[in-house]
Amino acid sequence: MATYDNFFDTLGLRGWCGDSSGGGLSSMADLMGQAGGDADTTVWDTPFPSLDALHDSCDAIPQSRDLTQGLEQGFLAIKDSLKVVVDPLTQPLSWALEDTLWLMQTVPWFIMIPMLMLITYAVGRSMKLVGLVALVFGFLAFIDFYEHTMQTLAIIFVCAFICVLLGVPIGIAMSRSDRVQRSMIPILDMLQTLPPFVYLIPLIFLFSVTEPKLYGIAIILYAIVPVVRLTDLGIRLVDQDVIEAADAFGMTNRQKLFKVQIPLALPNIMAGVNQTIMMSLAMVVIASLVSAPGLGVLVLRGIRSLELGVGLLSGLGIVLLAIILDRVTKAALARINASQK
Amino acid sequence: MTDDIKICVRNLYKIFGDDPQGALEKVRGGMSKADLQAETGHVLGLNNINVDMPAGKTTVIMGLSGSGKSTLIRHLNRLIDPTSGEVIMNGENILDYNERRLREMRKHEMSMVFQKFALLPHRTVLENAGLSWEIEGKNRKKYAAEATKWLNRVGLEGQGEQYPAQLSGGMQQRVGIARALTSNSDVMLMDEAFSALDPLIRTDMQDLLIELQAELHKTVIFITHDLDEALKLADHLVILKDGFIVQQGEPQHILLNPNDPYIEAFVSDINRARVLRVRSVMEKTDVMPSDIAGEVDYDDTLESIIAVSEGDTTNNYRVMREGKQVGVLHMRDLVRALVPRHPGEAA
Repeated sequence: MATYDNFFDTLGLRGWCGDSSGGGLSSMADLMGQAGGDADTTVWDTPFPSLDALHDSCDAIPQSRDLTQGLEQGFLAIKDSLKVVVDPLTQPLSWALEDTLWLMQTVPWFIMIPMLMLITYAVGRSMKLVGLVALVFGFLAFIDFYEHTMQTLAIIFVCAFICVLLGVPIGIAMSRSDRVQRSMIPILDMLQTLPPFVYLIPLIFLFSVTEPKLYGIAIILYAIVPVVRLTDLGIRLVDQDVIEAADAFGMTNRQKLFKVQIPLALPNIMAGVNQTIMMSLAMVVIASLVSAPGLGVLVLRGIRSLELGVGLLSGLGIVLLAIILDRVTKAALARINASQK
Repeated sequence: MTDDIKICVRNLYKIFGDDPQGALEKVRGGMSKADLQAETGHVLGLNNINVDMPAGKTTVIMGLSGSGKSTLIRHLNRLIDPTSGEVIMNGENILDYNERRLREMRKHEMSMVFQKFALLPHRTVLENAGLSWEIEGKNRKKYAAEATKWLNRVGLEGQGEQYPAQLSGGMQQRVGIARALTSNSDVMLMDEAFSALDPLIRTDMQDLLIELQAELHKTVIFITHDLDEALKLADHLVILKDGFIVQQGEPQHILLNPNDPYIEAFVSDINRARVLRVRSVMEKTDVMPSDIAGEVDYDDTLESIIAVSEGDTTNNYRVMREGKQVGVLHMRDLVRALVPRHPGEAA
């Protein structure tokens, strides 16, 4: 005798439900009920009219596990057609990741490290920073993490670059239209709060685990949010007086965007790029669960086989990488700020 | 040239709100600004504005904040579009312009100077001055000579490579003026251009503008809330209040014949001796009087005459214009003109 029997009886829905109460046992609660016999139920024990509770009284109502299963079936049903669209679209991501990984692992260390130092100098114009970069890479190579570090760096370069490539135009579109902004903000909120592991599940269904784009997409989805938000904010914060002056001197919208709005929003956009790089670094570790190479693999090994030393050292490596990426992008940001003061 | 009208504003209305056309009917029907706001929530920005702005002269639009003066100047280059009315420049109604033609006008025919300078902070002074050329698609090499010429003219020799933030407020506004001049447009709109500057620098800038005007004869539309500034610069003065024109005309005339208590209150605490000129208070005659204490110029301020007369109120002066006598100035009239009429007194 289930709680909501009376409810369906009084509504005269018994016929629609199909009178088969007491048929196959289908839920844990049923089993428990069977085991314990029909104990006295009081008002205090009234269950919430959930799918499972209603199902007990009326078979026509699905159980909650039917819901999750339905979702899964639905996803599997559209999976193939979705793949036809998404697969070719994202294929360049796979190529970019493969090529960059190949490049950064093939170039020998005695060329790679000086080159990274050179890039640091070009971006930050600070010898101290160049020294820090040399020290960090020297240390990581010394403890034989060189290969893994380069893999992580390659993935971050590609993913952060694509984030900027997609994120800045989206941010610009948001800044120009309130409607676009209103529709994008919930999506960005969702991307930011959804636990990173949850991205991985549908992606595993869509792509094979051997494809680099699987983790590439996961990283990009997670890391793109700050650059979009800060581009939008940066352009909206551009001084209205300056925009008015641009109008008064006859600038077209395109000229206004490229000659006024983007240059003046650059400090904010760069702050977004900095955050995006930091977030892709965080995600690269989680993505090692789905075959992303790099330092994350070592962290995973540390957890899986309880190799404390490996876990700690690779964790330290990620922190060091984060520090230099942060410092280098901040140095670039400081230079932009100085030129605009 | 003197009486050519460059810009002609006709029956201009601007109403802010959801249904400006509906509100316009009510305003035309005689509803006041306060009633309109209370009843419909619409704000009456400009109410039936008619102004003729003479070519080659300075037209000053004066009013307190909220009087609609900044709204009015933005109608001249259509940063704001009116609810109804016409703005005619060189015989064309600029409200009929399409976007491309409008941009042409903003690039070549009308330039603007802003209260808060509105320079591009990421460009050098030279690049800011050459903005209108750059918008045309000309590169730095092409406009450098022209921009440098105007930067030098406004007193910024050798500052071309600085960034705006490295300059003081007064110097930044000089860049703003150089930017407007470099576009070689006939019309210069100046929106409270000197209001953000401190008094000493403001006087310098006013003198600079007068000097430039004597040389270039641009059609300047100048917005200000400062009556002293308005009287100093204006050839034609327009006084706005709550979106309508209270009085317009020659500044001397307005000062001597205010037609509204609002303007009387305005002009009552001004240094009249500095503003009024001999021509406004002299007796027009070519008869040479017998007791002449000296000769004065037609355009001298009364202040300078008082200095010449050393305070003697019995003197008479011969008023000269380009070597010919045009009138006689009695010191007694001069003193009388210095006494402001108080609001409420009969005209």
